[in-house]
Amino acid sequence: MPFRELSGKLVEARVVPGQRMFSQRGAMVGYTGEVTFTPNMQGGQGGLMSMIGRRVAGEAAPLMTVEGDGTVMFGHGGHHIQVIELDGDTLCVEADRLLAFDGSLQQGTLFLGRDGGVMGMVRGQVSGQGLFTTTLAGKGSAAVMAHGGIIQLPISPGRPVHVDPQAYVAHFGDVRNKLSSALGWRDMVGRGSGEAFQLELSGSGAVFVQASEEKL
Amino acid sequence: MAQFRLEGTKVLAVTLGGGGDAVKAKNGSMVAYDGEMAFKKMSGGGEGVRGMVTRRITGEQLTVMEVKGQGTCYFADRAADIALVRLSGEKLHVEASNLLCTDGGLRTGTSFTGLRGASQGNGLFTTTVEGTGQAALMSDGPAVLLRVTPHTPLQVDPGAYVAHQGNLRQSFQSGVNFRTLMGEGSGEAFQIRFEGEGVVYVQPSERNTLGGEV
Repeated sequence: MPFRELSGKLVEARVVPGQRMFSQRGAMVGYTGEVTFTPNMQGGQGGLMSMIGRRVAGEAAPLMTVEGDGTVMFGHGGHHIQVIELDGDTLCVEADRLLAFDGSLQQGTLFLGRDGGVMGMVRGQVSGQGLFTTTLAGKGSAAVMAHGGIIQLPISPGRPVHVDPQAYVAHFGDVRNKLSSALGWRDMVGRGSGEAFQLELSGSGAVFVQASEEKL
Repeated sequence: MAQFRLEGTKVLAVTLGGGGDAVKAKNGSMVAYDGEMAFKKMSGGGEGVRGMVTRRITGEQLTVMEVKGQGTCYFADRAADIALVRLSGEKLHVEASNLLCTDGGLRTGTSFTGLRGASQGNGLFTTTVEGTGQAALMSDGPAVLLRVTPHTPLQVDPGAYVAHQGNLRQSFQSGVNFRTLMGEGSGEAFQIRFEGEGVVYVQPSERNTLGGEV
């Protein structure tokens, strides 16, 4: 477990030789020991094709590789940070919300249209995810940013969770999501409750929700 | 009866038991829910047509939605800190912009505040909440609860005022003097003075107010 939350807005990561870590470029606020930061042109793991994939998908957040021996503190924009432990699960998160993650995690890009076809793409547009999202799989931990505090809501079969698309941060596990709309005549005449669209997540896993409806 | 619970300091979790259980919440403040929920915008937010007309005229626009259903609903708004207030028959005065959620059994209304309101940048009216049940207030930063007793009146910056409760008289006081007019003011030209017996909620942040400029 390399990440330790120092406060709600700062995490400390332990870097040991031979283990790489990736973080958003410029997110380091301080370090001790011998640590090097190299800009990662590829925006993460994988070869040239992965890089092109991310560029095309718009999920190429500028990353840097952190290597060496010491401890590094990360923080960015005063945003709240949540450390998410992964134990073989797959985490879906927006690239720009990803502050830092273990090199042991497999990074990938997921086309939202794959999960629900056209509706998947519409969902991505509504929730501000775009057409693609970043996935992290394997064992390790990742530090994710959000505006305001984060709460974790468990999802279990038969008990789906509905989330405001603007407050959605990330989810992991075997979760299917679909956009459910409660659009009625009231919304058409401008008397909506402001909750016309919701992401419905079902399956088993957990979803992370931020205490705000603002983007980063 | 709806159960209010804080999830951290910035998220409010309300458990509804179905049936007639309902809460009133700020429009669009739901961030997640499980179970079955229905959201309906309430016309005006007041009681009946009279309340609606009052709201329109007073500009104390509290756009609220009614949430009904069974399950747990989570509310949050722009990472504001949340404080829970339990009312058992008392009256709570609160700025409309600081009210996140109220129990369905509570009545909300509008009251005239006079000059104080104008200095707060919130107009001349404020919202009142009455009845038995819980209400959730939000503030920019965690709100502090200041007690007022007959011997210790309290002065509050209009921009930091969130809510008050109890038997309090409020008056508006100004420290405008020669220096203020010369543009050498301390930025603390106006205060609200509370006298009597009760509590005042103050946030560690100031809204943009008329008084803050001078």
